[in-house]
Amino acid sequence: DKWHMPTPYGDGNLPTQIAYGFAEEIKEKTNGDLDITVHSGGSLVKHTEIPRAVKTGQVQAGEIFLGILGNEHPVYKHDNIPFLATTFEDAKKLWEAAKPSVDKQLNKSGMKLLYAVAWPAQSLYTKRPVTQLSDLEGAKMRAYSPSTSRLADLMGTTPTTIQVPDIPQAFSTGIIQAMITSPSTGVDSQAWDYVTNYTEVSAWIPKNIVVVNKRAFRRLDKETQQAVLDAAKHAEEMGWAKVAERAANDRAKLIENGMNVQAPSETLVKELQAIGDTMITEWKAEDPKEVGAILDRYNP
Amino acid sequence: MGVEAYVFYVGERKKQSGREGAGKKKHINNAGIPLPSKTTNQVNYMNEFKNTCYQLTGWLSGLCIVAITLLLLAQIIGRLFGFIVPSAEDFAGFALAAATFFGLAYTFNEGGHIRVTLLIQRFSEKGRKWQEAIVLAMGFALTTYLTYACSYMVYESYVYEEVSYGYVPVPLWIPQIPVAFGALALNLAVLDSLIKALKGEAPNYVGHEDELAMEE
Amino acid sequence: MDLTIVSLILAVGMLTMLAFGVWVSFTLIIIGGLGLVLSENYQVGLLFSTSSWGASTSWSLTALPLFIWMGEVLFRTRLSEDLFKGLSPWLGGVPGKLLHVNILSCGIFAAVSGSSAATAATIGRMTLPELKKQGYSERMAVGTLAGSGTLGLLIPPSIILIVYGVAAEVSIARLFIAGALPGLLLVALFMGYTMIWGMLHKDELPKHTDSQVSWSTRFKALKQLLPVVGLIGFVLGSIYGGITTPTEAAAIGVTGALVIAGVTGSLSFHSFMDSLMGAVKSSCMITFILIGAHFLTLSMGFLGIPKELASWIASLNLSPMALIFYLTILFVVLGCFLDGISVVVLTVAVVLPMVDAAGIDLLWFGIFIVLVVEMSQITPPVGFNLFVIQSLTGKNILYVARAALPFFLLIAVAIALVTMFPEIVTYLPSNMSQSG
Ligand code: NA
Ligand code: NA
Repeated sequence: DKWHMPTPYGDGNLPTQIAYGFAEEIKEKTNGDLDITVHSGGSLVKHTEIPRAVKTGQVQAGEIFLGILGNEHPVYKHDNIPFLATTFEDAKKLWEAAKPSVDKQLNKSGMKLLYAVAWPAQSLYTKRPVTQLSDLEGAKMRAYSPSTSRLADLMGTTPTTIQVPDIPQAFSTGIIQAMITSPSTGVDSQAWDYVTNYTEVSAWIPKNIVVVNKRAFRRLDKETQQAVLDAAKHAEEMGWAKVAERAANDRAKLIENGMNVQAPSETLVKELQAIGDTMITEWKAEDPKEVGAILDRYNP
Repeated sequence: MGVEAYVFYVGERKKQSGREGAGKKKHINNAGIPLPSKTTNQVNYMNEFKNTCYQLTGWLSGLCIVAITLLLLAQIIGRLFGFIVPSAEDFAGFALAAATFFGLAYTFNEGGHIRVTLLIQRFSEKGRKWQEAIVLAMGFALTTYLTYACSYMVYESYVYEEVSYGYVPVPLWIPQIPVAFGALALNLAVLDSLIKALKGEAPNYVGHEDELAMEE
Repeated sequence: MDLTIVSLILAVGMLTMLAFGVWVSFTLIIIGGLGLVLSENYQVGLLFSTSSWGASTSWSLTALPLFIWMGEVLFRTRLSEDLFKGLSPWLGGVPGKLLHVNILSCGIFAAVSGSSAATAATIGRMTLPELKKQGYSERMAVGTLAGSGTLGLLIPPSIILIVYGVAAEVSIARLFIAGALPGLLLVALFMGYTMIWGMLHKDELPKHTDSQVSWSTRFKALKQLLPVVGLIGFVLGSIYGGITTPTEAAAIGVTGALVIAGVTGSLSFHSFMDSLMGAVKSSCMITFILIGAHFLTLSMGFLGIPKELASWIASLNLSPMALIFYLTILFVVLGCFLDGISVVVLTVAVVLPMVDAAGIDLLWFGIFIVLVVEMSQITPPVGFNLFVIQSLTGKNILYVARAALPFFLLIAVAIALVTMFPEIVTYLPSNMSQSG
C-alpha cells in the first residue's frame, strides 16, 4: 500500500523528523508493502484541515498539534492546561493518564491514536524582565485559544490575537510585549531579533499526535498492523528521549544569541501556581466525569 | 441617503443589466452570435428574475467583503482599547469564503472569470457556437460535481459535529453553507448560459467579454 | 503510470483547455482532478472541498479583497488624477515620463501590501485608465504594471517571505529587511529600462513636454500628492506604529480610501456600490483561481511531480552556481503552471536540504526564491499578475505576457546580479542590531 501522511511543521522540527523515522521503519519492516509518504510543513494539507482529512480517509494518517482539538472535547485540553505538568516526567505521566480518554474520543470520530511527540515546555518571552506578575501589568500578551486568553487575563495582561507569521513584527512594533511559547519556536523564528527576555516558567508541555484512519488501518493485514504499532511505539519512545535534548539545545541557542534566559523567581512561581489551580478547577468543571478521571489517574 | 437612493440604485442597475445592456450588446457583439430575439413578456419577466438573482448573489458577496473590513477594524480598535474580538480571524476567514463563493455566479454572469479568448475569437460563427456549447457543457458537469462535493462537505461537517479550532467553537457546517450555496448558484448560472448557447443565443458573459475587448 | 507521461498529459491538457476557452479556474480544477485520478486517488470531491475550504478561509488572503476594493474606491475619486498631476512636472522631463508612476506607485504600495496580485490590482485600477487617457503606449503601461506589481512580494511585508521563513526556519524579520535592497534594485532596473525605452520610442509617448517646468511649479504640484501620500503614510504608520498587523492594514486602507472619497465629495451610495461590486468581481475571480491552484497543488503533492524533479536535480551533485542555475530553470518551468507560493511549498522539503548542503545561505536563498516567484507571476499560462491585468484591461493573457517579457528578463538580470553580489541581500540583515 501507499499511504500519505501530512504533518503540520517543517523538516527541522523534532516531530517531523520522528515522523520520517516512523515511515522509514515501517517501509523496512514490511519490505516496502506499506510505503508512507510524509508531507511535511502543511505542504499537502493545511494544519487545520488535517484532522478532517484523516477522519474522512482523504489521507490515511496525519500529525496534529493536540491543542487545536481543544474545542472538540475537553479531554484534549489536558495538553495545554498551564502549570499542571511542568517537567517531562510529569508530562509523560499526564499523557499516560489522558491517553485512554483521548483514544476513546479519537475512536469516536474514526481515528486511531498511534503515538505522541512532546514539545519543549512553553515559557515566557517578554520585552522587559519579569520577576513577579506585576511587572507584566498592562502588557499585551499573545493569545490564540480560549485557554491562552484566560491565562493572559489571570496574569493581569491584555490578551491579544496575533497570527504566528505576524509575531516578529508585532513585537518589534509594540503590538504585543509578551507571549508564551516553546524555546523551539523561539529559535525557529530567531526570537532574539525582536524580544530580549526568556523566563523559564515551563507553563505546559504540548504534544503532537499521529493518528491513522481506522478503516485504512483495518484494511492492513495483521502483520503490517503489528509493524505499524511497533514503529509507533518506537517513535513515541524516541520522541520522549529526544525532546529533553532538543529543549536543552534550543535553550543554549537562545543564550548564545544574547537572550536573557532566567529561571522564574519564587514569587512568580507561586503566583503562577495559583493561576494554574484556578484553571485546572475551571477545566474540570467543563466535564467533571471525563476530566476528573484523567486527573485521578494522573494524581492518584 | 436612504431608501430613495436605494430604490433609484436598484432601478438603475436593472435598466443597465436588462434592456439597456442588451441593446448595447447588439452593436458590439463581435463573436457573431445572434442575440435573443424573443420579446414576449414571459421571457422578459424570466430574464428580470434571473438578473435579480445574479445581482443578489453579488450583493451578498459584497456584504461579506464589508463584513471582513468591519471585523478587522474591530480587531484593531479592540487592541487599542484592550478588548478581544473573539475569533475575529476565523470569522474573517469564513466571510472570505462566503464572499468568494457567493460571488461566483454574479462574476460568471458578468464575464468576470477570465479565460483565454485569443484562439476562440478566430473561430467561425458556427465553430464558436459549438465551442461555447462544449465548454459550457464541460463547465456544467464540473460545477454540478463541485456543488455535490461542497454540499457533501456541509453534510459531513454536520454529521461529524466539526467545530472551528479558534477562540469560539463554531459548528463548521454553518459557515460552510454559503460555500455550497455559492457553488449551486454558479452551477445554475452555467446551466442558464448552456441553455442559451444550445438555443443558439449568446450567453451573457460573452457580451461582457466583448465590452471589455471593445475598450481597447 | 510513469510520472513523465502523467506530467505531459496534464500540461498538454491544461494548455488545450485554456486555448479552447475554458475558464482558467475551471481548467485548474479539472486538471487537478485529472491528476488525482491518474495517481489512482478517487476521492476527488472530498479533496476538493477540503482544499477549497482551507484555501478560501486563509487568514493571509483576507487582505486581498480589501486592497482590491481600496483600488476601486480610489479609482472613483480624483486621487489618481491628482497623483499624475502632482508627479508630471517632476517626471515630464524624464524619458518614459509618467510610465514611471506605475513603477514608483507599485514600489510604494508594495510596502503596504504583501501580495503582488493586490499591488497590481490596486495600482493598475488607478493608473491604467489615466495613462491610456494621456496617450501612453498601452503595451508599455501594461508591461510596467505587470513587472512592478511583483514588487509586492519582495518589498516587506510579503506573504511569500513568511511562507518561506516558516518552512526554512529563517527569521522573517531578517527576510523582510533582506528584501529591501533587492526591491530597490528592481525599481532601478525597471526605471532604467523604461528610460531607455522612452528615448527610443518618443513617438509612443504623449507629445506635450513638461521639461521646462520651474521649480516653484514643481513644488506647488506636490500639493496634489497630499491625499495619496497621506493615505499611504497613514497605512504604513499604522503598521510600523504598532497599531495593526500587515493583514489588518488592508482594512485601514479601505477605510482611509472611503474617507478620502467622502471628503472630496466623490462618495455616493451609487459609487460606493459600484466600487464594492467591482471588488466582488475581481476578488472573486482571483480567489477562485487561487482555489483552483490550491487544488492543483494538492494533486501535485499526491503525484509528487515537483518533488521528483527537485530530487533529480539533487542527484546531480552540482556546484552551488550550477545548482542555482538549474533551480532557476526548475522554478520558472513549474511557475508556468503553478502559482509561485505553491511552487515554494511543494519543493521546499527537497530543495532546502540540498541548498543547505551546497553551503548556500538560506537567507539569501529566500530572496532568490522570491525573485524567481516574481518571474512566475508574469509567465503564461498561469500567472496571477497576468490574470489581474487581463481583468483590468480586457487584454489577452498572451498580450499582457508579451508586454511583461522585458520585465521578466529584468528580474532575471536582478537574479544574476544578486548571485554575483550576494551582499545586496545580506548587507542590511547582517547589520541588524543583535539586541532587537
Ligand atoms: Na510587500
Ligand atoms: Na506563471
